[in-house]
Amino acid sequence: MKVLLVDDEVELVSAMAERLEFRGVDADWTDNGEAALEMASRTDYAVAVLDMKMPRLSGLDLMERLSSQHPDMKFIFLSGHGSEADFKAGCAAGCNYLIKPIQIDDLIARINQVAG
Amino acid sequence: MTQTTSNSREGLQFFGRISASVSHEIKNVFAVINESAGLIEDFTLMADRGMPIQPDRLKSAANSIQGQVRRGDTIIKNMNAFAHSTDEAVRELDLVEALDLTVALTTRIADMKQIRLTSGDCQAVSLVTNPFDLTRLLHSSIVAALDCMQAGDTLVIGLKSVSGGASFSLSAPGKDAPLKNDESFSPLAQAMNASVTVDEDTGTSELRVLAATGSK
Repeated sequence: MKVLLVDDEVELVSAMAERLEFRGVDADWTDNGEAALEMASRTDYAVAVLDMKMPRLSGLDLMERLSSQHPDMKFIFLSGHGSEADFKAGCAAGCNYLIKPIQIDDLIARINQVAG
Repeated sequence: MTQTTSNSREGLQFFGRISASVSHEIKNVFAVINESAGLIEDFTLMADRGMPIQPDRLKSAANSIQGQVRRGDTIIKNMNAFAHSTDEAVRELDLVEALDLTVALTTRIADMKQIRLTSGDCQAVSLVTNPFDLTRLLHSSIVAALDCMQAGDTLVIGLKSVSGGASFSLSAPGKDAPLKNDESFSPLAQAMNASVTVDEDTGTSELRVLAATGSK
């Protein structure tokens, strides 16, 4: 199972990817939505973990673009508390999200849950 | 008359907007520290299992934590200065400091639009004014300018002394003047004796602010 991590905080997303790798989760990462779309066109990701607030393409906008091209892809959102209202307003019931800072084991549990 | 225009819901909303932005940024700082510390913990757990520790990796993670602590300290220092802008209704204010603070508080909004925000040439100017209202006025004018700009642009804000007050210049190198009018913040601008003019020849918008009248 491949996982795609997208967050504009490079130090955060690169460390997360490395920690996931240590735990046997094959994760790629990028810091922007445009690169994420390009990566997803070349690699089959089962799960995408998206930051809510990113320049240009927000997490919700990126989810719409990714899911239209990859209907089977599952999504988990990372949210700071400041963006929870946006998240609840824009995301349909059943979306998965974690509030930063996260615990890596919680993220893995959520990845396994959404991947089924 | 003393300038105290922000005893209003708009002023409170501005304070809330800035506080929300700052708290969001601090959340990101904690999130990076959390992952970097977790990475160091992972390295030590692997060392317990016999894998050699790579000093460069440990150093990189530690540097990341130290960098985020510096970032967080700057964010808190700016938030503290912003909070203290409400201490006095009117006082003599160092406008270079006021501009630098407003730029720092507004940079996250600019970042989200992928626009670079920077202070340009600034004369040393002091002005008797309401510190909180001036921050709000500058922030509002910068946000209005950002709304007219494109990703990849740079907004440069300068400062010079003018008779009876100060002039903040807003320009985007190679582009039209970014701030066309004070429509989005005109009540505040009027209350502060501020006005916007546009010089299309130089591509510069000018926000002119006069000193507060009356006493504290």
